[in-house]
Amino acid sequence: MSGVRRWAALTRREILKLARNPQAIITSLLLPILYLVLFGQGFNFTNFLSSNPFLTPAERAQILQQSFLGAPDYFSYFSAGMVGFVAVTATLFVGANVIFDKLFGSLKRTAASPATATDIFGARLFAGSIQPVGLAFLVLGLAILLGDLGLAGLHVSVAVSVLGAAEVVVAILLLSVMFASLFLSLGFTIEQPQTYFAVVNAINLPVLLTSAALYPWGLMPVWLQTIASYNPVTLAVWVIRITFFGDAYYAHPAWVYLGGLFVWAVAMFAVATWLTRRALAPRR
Amino acid sequence: MPDAIVAEGLSKTFNGTVKAVDGVSFSVREGEIYGFLGPNGAGKTTTLSLLTAVLGPTAGQAVVDGLDVFHNPHDLKQRIGLVFQEPTADQDLTGRENLELAAALFGVPLRETPQRVNDLLDRLALTDAADRLVKTYSGGMRRRLELAVGIVHSPRVLFLDEPTLGLDPQGRAGFWRIVSELRKDTGMTVFLTTHYLDEADGMCDRIAIIDHGKIVAEGTPTELKDRLGGDVVTVRPIGLSDQLEVALKALPGVTAVTAQEGAFRVKCPSGEVLIPKVVAAATGLGISIAGISLRRPSLDEVFLEFTGREYREDEGPTATDRAVFMTRFQNARRGSR
Repeated sequence: MSGVRRWAALTRREILKLARNPQAIITSLLLPILYLVLFGQGFNFTNFLSSNPFLTPAERAQILQQSFLGAPDYFSYFSAGMVGFVAVTATLFVGANVIFDKLFGSLKRTAASPATATDIFGARLFAGSIQPVGLAFLVLGLAILLGDLGLAGLHVSVAVSVLGAAEVVVAILLLSVMFASLFLSLGFTIEQPQTYFAVVNAINLPVLLTSAALYPWGLMPVWLQTIASYNPVTLAVWVIRITFFGDAYYAHPAWVYLGGLFVWAVAMFAVATWLTRRALAPRR
Repeated sequence: MPDAIVAEGLSKTFNGTVKAVDGVSFSVREGEIYGFLGPNGAGKTTTLSLLTAVLGPTAGQAVVDGLDVFHNPHDLKQRIGLVFQEPTADQDLTGRENLELAAALFGVPLRETPQRVNDLLDRLALTDAADRLVKTYSGGMRRRLELAVGIVHSPRVLFLDEPTLGLDPQGRAGFWRIVSELRKDTGMTVFLTTHYLDEADGMCDRIAIIDHGKIVAEGTPTELKDRLGGDVVTVRPIGLSDQLEVALKALPGVTAVTAQEGAFRVKCPSGEVLIPKVVAAATGLGISIAGISLRRPSLDEVFLEFTGREYREDEGPTATDRAVFMTRFQNARRGSR
């Protein structure tokens, strides 16, 4: 009971701090929003393919379907990718907060209390993993709204079932747990914020660029497809795309990709808890 | 009265070479206020960190409130209170929220928490600021909040690590008044480290003077001052002279003469009586005196007596400071790889 209370109190702290610092939420949303509003609008090359006079309508439809794995256009395909990527940008701050708590002394206070490393890590992981789910749905809403405003927007082409919506939530949650664990482990082991942000930048861009979040799948070289098919962002994005555009172009049903994400999340969670325990143990 | 803290042969070495604490042994009786006094890098905070399981030892044992510190760190943390020298309260939370968090972490029963928090806020004169963010607090208010957080679970042993560092005299006096009242009301044992000799003199039942990781003297403030053997007259001649040293030793009432830092420290029962005789002796030998001063027995003198140097609160970084810095620097580099 006391462990649950400690965990609840630490989670409350995280949520209060987050609520009092909306800059972190805004910054987390900034990158996906810029991608949707600028990159997505400027790079929506579906129209170019659709109006190509050298292709028959059937060929155009086939190319579009294979490139975007069933999505009706590039923006719809890509915005589902951004919904997945927001989990990465939103969890980035959970690790940074650990470093700031070290610098401002509050982590020292918590570590000197009976709270275990599991309590401390668990509360931060919980608060850090819930937030991206909300942000992901904000990004999703914005992508749909852009279409209503006459711009390129997200068009869901199949009826979304309750199970499908649940799969989307679980996918974002698992991806968030994975990246929150990664960033927390960095936060507990790195001392300086500038080092942390340098490492995070070195992780974020390769993760994004080796995933299927941005690229049309059919245009990717095979070697990049192979790498991307193991990338956790790709796995989450595929679950979202299957839910929004159907599974006709996918090798496996959504639950298989959820299983892959689960393995990633568990592995990263295990590494992160070990590193956190090590970081919070009395220094020998 | 049983012992609340027992340390035996405690040692802590950083980087395999720098001994921050070197075989320290002492005991603190229940209900006592015990002070660890020493300059920067003497080993005060490292000793406190060992006793509170923040650091693991290189060698030695410690028992606090009947618990082996290094085998029962989790149980220990529930029984002790700890006030760090640097601020640790969450600045983005209110004073009340900080106390509620601490109460939950230290297992104060949920039903008792609101009353306990209100009592502490009242006792530490923080009620009016209870619902303000800590980032708006003054330095004195923050220190009082740190104390409140440290005692929210009514610990049996309270550790204070230079708790009044940076406070003005009024803030320091207020802080110690509260600690005295708490000790009187609850009977808790207090282990404190301090830079301030006057604080140690006024607050502590017993004091240990630590220097270069070793305890060089221990006793009540009165005992330590008595060991000086009375007043200390410091005679600073223009150029040290063996003749003058011999003459000083021969003066009636002089119990000891030591040469330190270009001066003679002369111990005697009454400095006022001795000073004219010192001047006469020097004049008789044709030796000019640049300065002469009289000090009553004080912890400053005790410190000088046992460490061989003047007490300075603003000494620069020591070998330990540098070792700790290098450890953190290397950890940071390792973390960035």
